[in-house]
Amino acid sequence: MRIRPIARGDLDGLQQLAQETGVGFTSLPDNREFLASKIESAALAFEERTPVDDRLYFFVLEDEESGELAGCCAIEGQVGREVPFYHYRLGTLAHSSVQLDLHRTIDTLFLSSDHTGDAEVASLYLRPEYRGGQRNGALLSKARWLFMAQFRDRFPDKVLAEMRGVFDENGISPFWKCLGSHFFPMDFNEADRLTGMGQKSFIGELMPKFPIYTTFLPEDARACIGQVHEHTRPALEMLKKEGLRWEGYVDIFDGGPTVEAYIDDVRAVRLSTLCQVEVTANLETSERPSWLAATTGMADFRAAWVGRGPNADGTLALTEEEARRLNVGAGDSLRILET
Amino acid sequence: MLVVRPAKPADLPGLERLAGSATPRLTNLPVHRDRLEERITRSQRALAREIDFPGDESYVFVLEDLERGEVVGTATIRAQAGAQEAYYTYRQETLIHASQQLNVRREVQTLSLSHEVSEASLLCALSLDARYKGTSAESLLRRARLMFIAQYPERFAEILAVAFPGYLDADGESPFWNSVGRHFFVRGYQDINHLAGVRSKSFIAEVMPQFPLYLSLLTPPARAAIGREHPDHEVALGEMLAEGFVRSRHVDIFDAGPVIKAERERLETFRRSTWHPVRIRPAAALPDAEPAMIANQKLDGFRCVVARYALSPTGQLMLSPEHAALLGVEEGRAVLAAPLALSAGEDVFDEGEL
Repeated sequence: MRIRPIARGDLDGLQQLAQETGVGFTSLPDNREFLASKIESAALAFEERTPVDDRLYFFVLEDEESGELAGCCAIEGQVGREVPFYHYRLGTLAHSSVQLDLHRTIDTLFLSSDHTGDAEVASLYLRPEYRGGQRNGALLSKARWLFMAQFRDRFPDKVLAEMRGVFDENGISPFWKCLGSHFFPMDFNEADRLTGMGQKSFIGELMPKFPIYTTFLPEDARACIGQVHEHTRPALEMLKKEGLRWEGYVDIFDGGPTVEAYIDDVRAVRLSTLCQVEVTANLETSERPSWLAATTGMADFRAAWVGRGPNADGTLALTEEEARRLNVGAGDSLRILET
Repeated sequence: MLVVRPAKPADLPGLERLAGSATPRLTNLPVHRDRLEERITRSQRALAREIDFPGDESYVFVLEDLERGEVVGTATIRAQAGAQEAYYTYRQETLIHASQQLNVRREVQTLSLSHEVSEASLLCALSLDARYKGTSAESLLRRARLMFIAQYPERFAEILAVAFPGYLDADGESPFWNSVGRHFFVRGYQDINHLAGVRSKSFIAEVMPQFPLYLSLLTPPARAAIGREHPDHEVALGEMLAEGFVRSRHVDIFDAGPVIKAERERLETFRRSTWHPVRIRPAAALPDAEPAMIANQKLDGFRCVVARYALSPTGQLMLSPEHAALLGVEEGRAVLAAPLALSAGEDVFDEGEL
């Protein structure tokens, strides 16, 4: 299995992924035209033919044996440049009066575009049949850090990830029901769909502009603020291990948390190192892969698990199969990370 | 006989009793002896001074039943609703959220804290002994203040406002307070209202949430209470609307009771009040006529009574010796008279916003 940039020939495969992800996967709507333009935009980004603040780096996880797409992930170079990027910021207002013997703090949700210009890791999806022991999910998630480390100058200071919020057993978001539904004349899925298509101007037009005192929201809606869907918990944990933290920003529709970090502080970015490839036959390969390797080119970027760490002299020995998978030969550079 | 006159220190026990019997309890009339005493003192001070424009004055009046020798009602004018402090209201506003992309247009209702009513003169703190409810005494007490303002316009603002007690449920709970204020103050409505009366309302308002509230996030009972008067004040509100007041966008910050406003020149009492020289005739000799409010033109000796609007062919107002004595007028002195009856008013909402 390997990560590579999406290519113009991947449209059918990507649409199949889009069909599988279904509702709730905002950034991958099942819309062929939209997906085609997404691929085109990604291709131009990897070819560095678009400005750095307008790049979507979209990757696929490929089973190089069968050529099948097993999943995808993406990095948005800078969010909020083309269309506004909104969050609620959970704030606190002190509410106090000595004469009234009153001291309370009131939580408020402020509409914010504070993350404008930040990078975003997004669109991670792994097909069910590829989940399990082979750490494909971690590969999809972490390959992006190696890419960002390698092309650090193409990215801004900060990176964020939006996590899916809480939905009840009927697929209803209590947060949406008690807040968004009062302002948007549509159901959650429609709002989500439009957002996924990048048609976000309606958000700014219809959103409440004044802060929301959370005390006016029912208990079940308040309980959703900053909480993730249970299926999203592993992804959140993985990001937290890299050093991303919740700083109080939540999704305006479902109240799910947005986690963030300075890119230079991300564990994988800090700890990844460069080494030179040696290709050797008869190498020991660990059962559970713990070393991640990525190439240093952009348009021909590849990332995959390798069976061992670097040698004492700083070189990395690869099997022929691993070298083929990464499309590297002896003497080429790789960025590696133990994880 | 009943007369409205400025309050004096001896009226304090009467005021205390009226404060306690007001339904619902009024912020502007706290059951608090020291505060009430201060109010009387301030009122007397205002009446003793020469004043060219409205400021921090309060004028406290009482309704006295001379037969009983008792103070049976009280009402106040604050020359400026927010003279030293701001007078806070919630202003009902409509924001248009329109999306070209979706081709939708939504009206979003908000309540915004406002100080706009601060400049107006405020008619407030009216409490009447229950035995007089529904009689002409009630109208007299309420509207004698307009007769006073008509005589001393320089002491008051062009705009008059009245804040009516808001809707409370059968348990005396304010659904609006329970959905709004309680979140911030963790106190019951009656409790905060008393505190506001004893301290000051703006002092509490300063700690209110400063950002506008979205109506859609309030409970349905709270929304229904916005601009709705306390059931006991329905008739009073009707009378003031007939007088020429109009509903405004403003509501009380605690209970969302309606604030009505008017340019004073448009009020019936102002438009229809007329000066007449007095002719004194024995009560039995007075012709039958519609009732009117009759006021003398004395500042601290202000008196207003209800008497028959009996005019001589030459336009003199015929008063009984008792009424003349009560008003402190002799034959030939001028009094101000306005019919007690109001033409049927209509309940209009002031879109133009005074």
